[in-house]
Amino acid sequence: MTSMADWPVVGVPADPGSDERLFFDDHEWDTIEAACARIIPTDHDPGAREAGAVRFIDRYLSGIDYVYAAADGSGFLRMSGKLADAWRARIADLQATYRQGVRDLDAGARERFGSDFVSLSDTDRDAVLEQLSGAPKPAPVALTGDGGNPTIQVYAFDDGLAFFDALVAHTRQGFYGDPVYGGNAGRVGWRVIGFPGPESLKDTMDGTYSVRGYYVQDYDWRDLIPHLRGADAS
Amino acid sequence: MEYARKPDPVDVLIVGMGASGATAAKVLCEAGLKVVGLERGPWLRPREHFSGDEIKFLNRTYLWSDPRVNPRTVRMDETETAVPTPFSMVPQMVGGGTVHWAGWLPRPRPSDFMMRTLHGDVEGASLADWPITYDDLEPYLSKVEWAFGCAGLDGADAYEPYRSTPYPTPPAPPTRAGRRFYSACEKLGINAMPIPQALITKPFRGRTPSNWTSFWNGYGDPSGMRSSTLDTFVPEALATGNLELRAECYVREVTVGPDGRARGVVYLDADGREIEQEASLVLLCLGAVESARLMLLSTSRQHPDGLANSSGQVGRNATFHEYLFAVGLFNDSEPLYGFPGNYISGGSFQFYETDYDRGHIGGALIGASHVGQPINWNFPGRPSWGSAAKDADRDFYNHAMKIGHTLHDMPVESNRVDLDPVVKDAWGLPAARITHQAHPNDIRLAKWQVDKNVEILEAAGAWKTIPVYLERGRASGNTCHQHGTVRMGNDPAKTVLDKWCRAHDVDNLYVLDGASFPTATGVNPTLTIMANAWRCADYISQVHAKEGAQR
Repeated sequence: MTSMADWPVVGVPADPGSDERLFFDDHEWDTIEAACARIIPTDHDPGAREAGAVRFIDRYLSGIDYVYAAADGSGFLRMSGKLADAWRARIADLQATYRQGVRDLDAGARERFGSDFVSLSDTDRDAVLEQLSGAPKPAPVALTGDGGNPTIQVYAFDDGLAFFDALVAHTRQGFYGDPVYGGNAGRVGWRVIGFPGPESLKDTMDGTYSVRGYYVQDYDWRDLIPHLRGADAS
Repeated sequence: MEYARKPDPVDVLIVGMGASGATAAKVLCEAGLKVVGLERGPWLRPREHFSGDEIKFLNRTYLWSDPRVNPRTVRMDETETAVPTPFSMVPQMVGGGTVHWAGWLPRPRPSDFMMRTLHGDVEGASLADWPITYDDLEPYLSKVEWAFGCAGLDGADAYEPYRSTPYPTPPAPPTRAGRRFYSACEKLGINAMPIPQALITKPFRGRTPSNWTSFWNGYGDPSGMRSSTLDTFVPEALATGNLELRAECYVREVTVGPDGRARGVVYLDADGREIEQEASLVLLCLGAVESARLMLLSTSRQHPDGLANSSGQVGRNATFHEYLFAVGLFNDSEPLYGFPGNYISGGSFQFYETDYDRGHIGGALIGASHVGQPINWNFPGRPSWGSAAKDADRDFYNHAMKIGHTLHDMPVESNRVDLDPVVKDAWGLPAARITHQAHPNDIRLAKWQVDKNVEILEAAGAWKTIPVYLERGRASGNTCHQHGTVRMGNDPAKTVLDKWCRAHDVDNLYVLDGASFPTATGVNPTLTIMANAWRCADYISQVHAKEGAQR
C-alpha cells in the first residue's frame, strides 16, 4: 500500500472552459446547473452558472480521482488505503443522493407546474427548491427576527447530507473553491465578495501570495493597549 | 493474515505522535533513551503537502480525522442510543492537532490547578485539584514556549501569572478587526492583549516567518512559521538518532505480562500485518478520547475492565471545551476584512477568574478571531441560498467579527468515553462512544460570557450581533480539546494516574496527553499538555528509566 505521504499526483487541473461530463447525463447536468443558478443566482455579479458550479459537482461525484488536489494544484492525489475506501463509499452515497435529487426536482416540478425542473421559470424553480428544502426561502439578513442559533464547526463535511443541503454546500464550494476543482472559473466567486485569492495553489506554498498588506501597517501596541502605557486597564 | 518479524524490544514505546507524544519523544531521545513512536496516521511533509486549498483542508478530510475511518458516536445520557457524529475530530497524523491548529498558546492560571480547594463540592460536578501546581509546571511552560516557538507581547496581559522568561518573538501584527476589538475594549475598560500564539514572527531556530497567506486555521502550514511538532520536535527527536518513527501503524491493544505490567503493544502496519512491539515503558499519547478507548480495548485477565482501570475511572470526567461565541455584522464603510490574519486577533483574561456575582464559577479567555475563508466563513442564521445568501456574502464577508471562548466545562463523572456496542472503526474495533451533558454551571458561564462578547461587539460598532449559547446543554465537539478520562491524582481509588502521569495500577504505563487533566482549565490546552508531557518525560528519563535499566 502506498503511504499517504507518497500518493502520486495524476491528472491535470480542471479546464474552466470544458463542459465534458464525467458523471451526470445531459439531463442531470442541465437540471443541477439550473438548480445551482438558483442557489447562487446571477445578478449584476456572476453567479454559480458562470463559476461552473455544475462542472465542479460533476467532477467531484465522478469517483475518487478529484477529491484532493495536489498541494501545488498540478493535478490530483491518487488515494489508496482506508481513506480511499472511505471516499469511495462516501462518493457512492452522494451519487445516489444526486441521482434521486434530480428525480425529486422533476417530480416536484411536474406535480406543481406540469413540466421538468429545467423548463420552469426562475420563480417556479425557487418554489420547487423551497419545497424540497422544507423551509421558507431565506429572507435577507435583518436586524431582528432570528430564532435560536445553532453552533458552527470549523470544518463542514458533506457526509450524510440530504440532497438539498448537499446541493447548497457544493454550489458554495463550486463558487468559492480553488479553480483547480473545476468551479470558481476565472476566480469570479472571489471577486464577488472581495477576496483576493491566489493565482494558483503553488503561490500559497512559496510566499508568492501574501495578504500582509491587509493587516494594519503602522501600529504601536501602546496605542492599542492602555495597560502598556501604564494606564489602569480596569 | 501476514505476520512480520517481531522487532527488538526498546526502552520506550510512544503511541501517538501529536502534541504530547512528540514532546515526550524529544525529551527522552535527547536524554539518550531508545524510543519507538507509533502513529496511526500519515507522516506528511509540510513543504510538499500543504497549501491554501480551502476545499481540501476544511471541507474534505485531508487533515481532519475522517468519520468513516475513525467514527465517534455521541449521546447526552445513558437512555439515548449514541449517534455517529464527527465530534472533536482532531487530526490523527504525525504532529496531531498542532498541524492544523490556529496555535492558541495561552498559559493556564494558578486557579486552574485548585478548583476544588477554591470552590469545594459543586453539586453534579466532580471538581478535583490537580496533584501539581502552576509553579510545578511553570519551568516547563517556558521550555515549551522557547523550544517550540511562541509569539506574545510582554507586559500586555494585566492578569498574567508569573513568567520566568519573556516571549521568544513579538506578536503577529494586528488585523483591522483586531484593531477594532482593541478600541472597543479600551472603551469598556477591558484589558485586551495579543493572545500568545504558536508561531514565530522573526527568524527563530532556523525558521523564517514567511506564511502571510492567512490560510491558517485548519490548514497545514507549508512554511514552518507555525509551531507544530511535525515541524519541530519530531525532527529534533529524529536528529538524536534515538527515535524510530513508524507512521500509519494502528495500535489495537496494549499487552501485559503475567505480572500485569505493560509488555508492549500489538499494532497493524500500513500493509495490514500484525506486529507486537515490546518495550520497558509504554506511553499513551493518543488524545483523551483515543487513549481512554485503547485502555478500555486492552482487557486481560489481569485487567478485566480495561488496562489500569481498577478504579473504574478510565473514560470518566471527560471535558471538551465547547466553543461559544458571538458574531457581529457591521454596516459602516470601513472594512474589517474577513480573511487576513493568523486567525486570532486579540483577547482578554479579564473575565477568567471566578466572580460569584456572575452566578457561576470559573470564567473564560475571550478571543476575537477570523470569520474565515470564502466557502466556510459563516455566521449562525446566515441565509443559505438565493439572493439573500449572495447579498449576505457580499455585504458582510469583509464586515464581520467574531468574539468567542472555549468553555471551561465542569468535570462530571457520568460524562465519559467508552466503547460503542455497535459502531466499529475501519479496523473493525468498537468506536469511542461519548456520553456528555453540560453541567448547569457550563450553561450559565456560556450565557454570561457570550452576552459580554455581544457587549464588546456593540462597543465596536456592530450593526447586528448574533449570540451562540449552549442552550440545551448539548455540546457539538467543535473544538479538538479533549481532557479528563484518565485523571491524575494522589488517590488510586479515585484517579488512574499519579502526579507523574504513571498509572497507579501499572508502573510502566504513562498517559501524557490531556487525558490526565483533573479539570479542563479555561485555556486552550495544548501548551499545558506539552509542558506536562515534558515534565513527566523529564521524570521518566531521570528516575524511572534508571530503575527499569537496573531491573
